[in-house]
Amino acid sequence: MSARKADRIATFVFTLLGFISIGILLFIILEVLGRGLLTAINPKFFLGKPEAMNPGGGILPMIVSSLYLAVLTLIVALPISVGAAIYMAEFARKGRLVSSIRFSLDSLATLPSIVFGLFGMTLFVVYFRWGMALMAGAFTLALLNLPILLRSTEEAIKLVPQTYREASMSLGASRWTTIRQIVIPSAMPGIITATILPIGRIMGESAAIVLTVGTFIRNIPVNPFSMGAPLAGYIWFAQSEGLTPDYRKIVNGGAAFLLLLVLVVYFLARYAGRKYQEKKLMGARDGK
Amino acid sequence: MRESLARSLIKGDKEAYMKLLLLACASLSILGILLIFLFITRESIPAFVHIGFKNMFLSAHWSPITGHFGMVGFIVGTLFTTVIAIVISAPLGIGTALYIDQIAPEWLRTPVRRGVELLAGIPSIVIGWFGLITLVPIVARITNTSGYGILTASLVLVVMALPTITTLSAETLKSIPQELKEGSAAMGATRWQTMYRVMLPAAREGLMVATILGMGRAIGETMAVQMVIGGARQLTVNPFQPTSTLTTRILTEMGEATGDWRSALFAMALVLLLLSMILIISIRLVSRQRRVAA
Amino acid sequence: MVSDGNKMEIKNLTMYYGDFKAIEDISLDIPSRRITAMIGPSGCGKSTLLRCLNRMNDLIYGTRVEGEAILDGENMYQSGYDAIALRRRVGMVFQRPNPFPKSIYENVAYGPRLGGIKKKEELDSIVEESLKKAALWEEVKGNLRELGLNLSGGQQQRLCIARVIAVQPEVILFDEPCSAIDPVATQLIEDLMAELKKNYTMVIVTHNMQQAARVSDYTAFMLVQEQGEPGRLIECGDTNSIFTNPTDERTERYITGRFG
Repeated sequence: MSARKADRIATFVFTLLGFISIGILLFIILEVLGRGLLTAINPKFFLGKPEAMNPGGGILPMIVSSLYLAVLTLIVALPISVGAAIYMAEFARKGRLVSSIRFSLDSLATLPSIVFGLFGMTLFVVYFRWGMALMAGAFTLALLNLPILLRSTEEAIKLVPQTYREASMSLGASRWTTIRQIVIPSAMPGIITATILPIGRIMGESAAIVLTVGTFIRNIPVNPFSMGAPLAGYIWFAQSEGLTPDYRKIVNGGAAFLLLLVLVVYFLARYAGRKYQEKKLMGARDGK
Repeated sequence: MRESLARSLIKGDKEAYMKLLLLACASLSILGILLIFLFITRESIPAFVHIGFKNMFLSAHWSPITGHFGMVGFIVGTLFTTVIAIVISAPLGIGTALYIDQIAPEWLRTPVRRGVELLAGIPSIVIGWFGLITLVPIVARITNTSGYGILTASLVLVVMALPTITTLSAETLKSIPQELKEGSAAMGATRWQTMYRVMLPAAREGLMVATILGMGRAIGETMAVQMVIGGARQLTVNPFQPTSTLTTRILTEMGEATGDWRSALFAMALVLLLLSMILIISIRLVSRQRRVAA
Repeated sequence: MVSDGNKMEIKNLTMYYGDFKAIEDISLDIPSRRITAMIGPSGCGKSTLLRCLNRMNDLIYGTRVEGEAILDGENMYQSGYDAIALRRRVGMVFQRPNPFPKSIYENVAYGPRLGGIKKKEELDSIVEESLKKAALWEEVKGNLRELGLNLSGGQQQRLCIARVIAVQPEVILFDEPCSAIDPVATQLIEDLMAELKKNYTMVIVTHNMQQAARVSDYTAFMLVQEQGEPGRLIECGDTNSIFTNPTDERTERYITGRFG
């Protein structure tokens, strides 16, 4: 076979593969939204209370649970991951400790989420006696997302030019002052972008929270140590129990809503990321 | 470094305290993974003591009510679904990465890449639901079976592993030095020849890592698989018969399991943990190979 | 103008990056309120030496110093010496202008704030004075809130000089300060340096010999003899003498090679 012919076949094959991948994405989005969008955007649905046995239930407490859980998780995870990222970016030297940290992060990143769920259940729900609680899920998900939060925050910090640090220290600032006053503020837009992206992951997580947070509640959760029912887990619950006669409609609507939520967060993160890029290149003008 | 840190702490140097605090944050990752290991192992010990290694890992008879905890069926389910999923998604993912890197026109490049990222962000439960209402009927009609089983589960896993493999492969391809690609083109090679003779060998280790990580996603996936695999307890290698994987079994039974039953489920989690560790060590071995060769 | 003694004295200074010896056995006096220039081909260690004078090399992992660098009679490399306080007395202007991604005002106010000055009136007056001394005030006095990075290259460098002045140092080190700026701006900065000489001791590293000849009172010539060797001080003395009548033939070769 001539080289040119092989090239043409290869081009065709790879183009086809690329289109298949995007096709899969579009297929899923269209199917899920197609079946559930009307339900999802119906206020009676997303503002309504769920039903255990009867038709016509809504998912408001579930939506609130998801958002609440995301906020709690970030409250727990951010200080730790930012602190750890500062250490890894500014102070860490090649050595056994740093290698162990990297290895642990890689391990955490590869572990199945259900194992995190089991761990969270054993430690927080049972051992600490919190019972099924949003906070139990928050700590579990914080650990689950630690690798990705740490890596993106670390990258944002490393992007700050070394010359800023030198200038600051040459003016007689200590290492810590330099980090606090120059490095972190400079890296902040990148850190914010790095933070928004995992929100989508947190709200989409189901295996880890089904064992730690809960799958069904009637009212909007207020106490962070009370049980919750994040949307992702509730969808699974409604589908696998199938107790209400209209469970298919609810699951369709729930899945569509969750998908929309995740899409919104994704585009928000991209938008924030782009704004950050523009700011870096042009410099903000705030004054005459 | 450690002695000077200690000395500074004694001096009451505020900066040394901050450094220690930050180090503690970073070390939480070590603490986390150790605790997970500890707790999972601890909870699974009763199973090893009361049920025994042989009865768990050399038997496929799983019937908790009668005291049988053979999990070979589930191990097979996990491995089988993963293998089929990777066989499909690795070429698909690497091919897509090649498309993005080499073939796609400039204006398509970013949208396709973003599309793959978006696919990664879709919650597994949504993909599982999609599998249930869309894929299962299709498979059922084509194969004249229930539609649940390893094949459908593998298809769902393809969707889950694809973005990981594609994104990492694309990164690897992008990091190949431009001079290598240009050098080949300058000698009159076609694009395919450059890809085949220069790029793929250069990217080999990165592509392997991408595939291994894709495997990790597939092994660890719970929700999406659970909705399409049928949940049967039998060992089967028939891809069209319902069965279970380690992850789906844990999910389904954890709610009601007690005593030794519960402990056996933790033993399954231990197996998953060990599988993950094997993957990570494989990745480190693959990466080290390159450093030696270079 | 009579100089009042040596502000700094470098005695047998040797510096290592890990195992690699970068500069060896340098002994040099830095007279007070004069400009001392360090010249030499690329890689001869002049920037390394400069960075020893405010202990900026400490920031690089694995560096080690032997010998002494004495400021006002005290060796800055003795154990227990406060390096951070040192840098408030010995300031530095870098090769590429590096204003912080903050407003012009905040750039100049950064140093004084570190020193504990909080009152707005005090900061305002320090900022104005420093910008005036750096010959930048007239150009920016209307836009102090604008981002420092929006200024031109030459203006940014003067901003960095103002930033250093705001800390009220005694010595200012310049590391090839004009190599990244256009000739017109360079001229401005050279004129500025002549003014600053009245109040500050200055050390400037430059690869532009005409600049060294124009601006400095004393000149030191450094050289790496062969690849792999450390940088050494070949000759130093009064600028005029060095350029018209160098003692060492290597100095002469360097100077005439460039001039000719």
